[in-house]
Amino acid sequence: MIDALPVLLKGLWWTVVITVISLLIALVIGLVLGLCSISRNKLLKTIATIYVDIIRGTPILVQILFIYFGLPAGTGITMSALTAGIIAISINAGAYLVEIFRAGINSIDKGQMEAGRTLGFSYGETMRLIILPQAVRRMIPAFVNQFIVSIKDTSLLSVIGIAELTMSGQSIYAMNFRAFEILALVGILYFVLIYALTLFSRWLERRFDVA
Amino acid sequence: MIKIENLRKSFGDLEVLKDINAEVKEREVVCVIGPSGSGKSTFLRCINRLEEPTGGSIYIEGTDITDPKNNINKMRQRLGMVFQQFNLFPHMTVLENVTVAPKRLKGKAKAEVDQLGKELLEKVGLSDKADVYPDNLSGGQKQRAAIARALAMEPNIMLFDEPTSALDPEMVGDVLAVMKDLAKEGMTMMIVTHEMGFAREVADRVIFMDGGYIVEEGKPEDLFGNPQHERTQAFLSKVL
Repeated sequence: MIDALPVLLKGLWWTVVITVISLLIALVIGLVLGLCSISRNKLLKTIATIYVDIIRGTPILVQILFIYFGLPAGTGITMSALTAGIIAISINAGAYLVEIFRAGINSIDKGQMEAGRTLGFSYGETMRLIILPQAVRRMIPAFVNQFIVSIKDTSLLSVIGIAELTMSGQSIYAMNFRAFEILALVGILYFVLIYALTLFSRWLERRFDVA
Repeated sequence: MIKIENLRKSFGDLEVLKDINAEVKEREVVCVIGPSGSGKSTFLRCINRLEEPTGGSIYIEGTDITDPKNNINKMRQRLGMVFQQFNLFPHMTVLENVTVAPKRLKGKAKAEVDQLGKELLEKVGLSDKADVYPDNLSGGQKQRAAIARALAMEPNIMLFDEPTSALDPEMVGDVLAVMKDLAKEGMTMMIVTHEMGFAREVADRVIFMDGGYIVEEGKPEDLFGNPQHERTQAFLSKVL
């Protein structure tokens, strides 16, 4: 059991690394397509809608398999399992973040945009200086929630052989046959990580409630 | 200074402004009055293109603001606007609210802009509120901060969209006093208002709107004292 821990902690490390990188990419996707989804430009709006609908309308496991096995078979584009995993988690979380950004921006009173524009700021300047700073505060709990969801989603990357936490556990009990203890330990490690984030999220919510 | 020709504005099938022709001269204070739904706020909001006019032209100091070739952001810097709902930026202090536009748009140094901001806050009686967030201000204080914010870009014209309609009655006087001072200094002002006493006292000219048209306009003593049009008479008999 004790000698399993270093391997599991290494798996946990990869889980965190993959989640953090993916979420950073997803934030960019979410911001850009979130802005598209509220734009007056029909084309941009349609692109954002289609993306969100496709990703939310298909299981993440299928998305992972499609990127790692489907794309190379269909297009000849090959990539490492790690790259495929990060792409899959990024585009999946990105779709949910588009909705979070859209809702967050829409929750800001229309008068804020009018006040910014009236002073002479362009649409982009008003977004950056006036709307987004307010919207992002309101989005923080939803961000943290998506972070937690994505942590759990990375366990599915075990199907393409990435040695994140779940895969690390599997490889250990495949050799020592102590599935009960190892999987319990894997579960505890996920729980501790996610519970810490939950507490952090509650703290953030309280903090920004006051501000 | 402002010249409006054949201004029309429709929202879908609803025609809110039908054919507006008006002029505001330099240093003139013009109050726009009329029943709700008469189009007076839409009229004001067309002047800085918060509402896109459906037809007609609006000249600000000789430049047609409805011409897409003209940079609307630059033109808006000459037009200050004050809203009924204040629309202060809640994530910035009062001073930051006032200074954000000159700092970012005129590229002035922070010290210079902060000095200007403090002078403006002094002028509207909010010197002690510079570092407070808008949520901690009363309605009247918010509106005076909003006026200071609009003045910070040193506009040539100020537009007021029912600036006292969202205020408790005891707050109205402070805001009107600030506006009166501005008028005395010679600011060109266009004010949509329900404050008939204020219009009568401060306006050089009063415009009465109803049903998307300017029904009647004139000096306050004429329009309030001896309204010519039936609809003006009916409106004034209800509000005075």
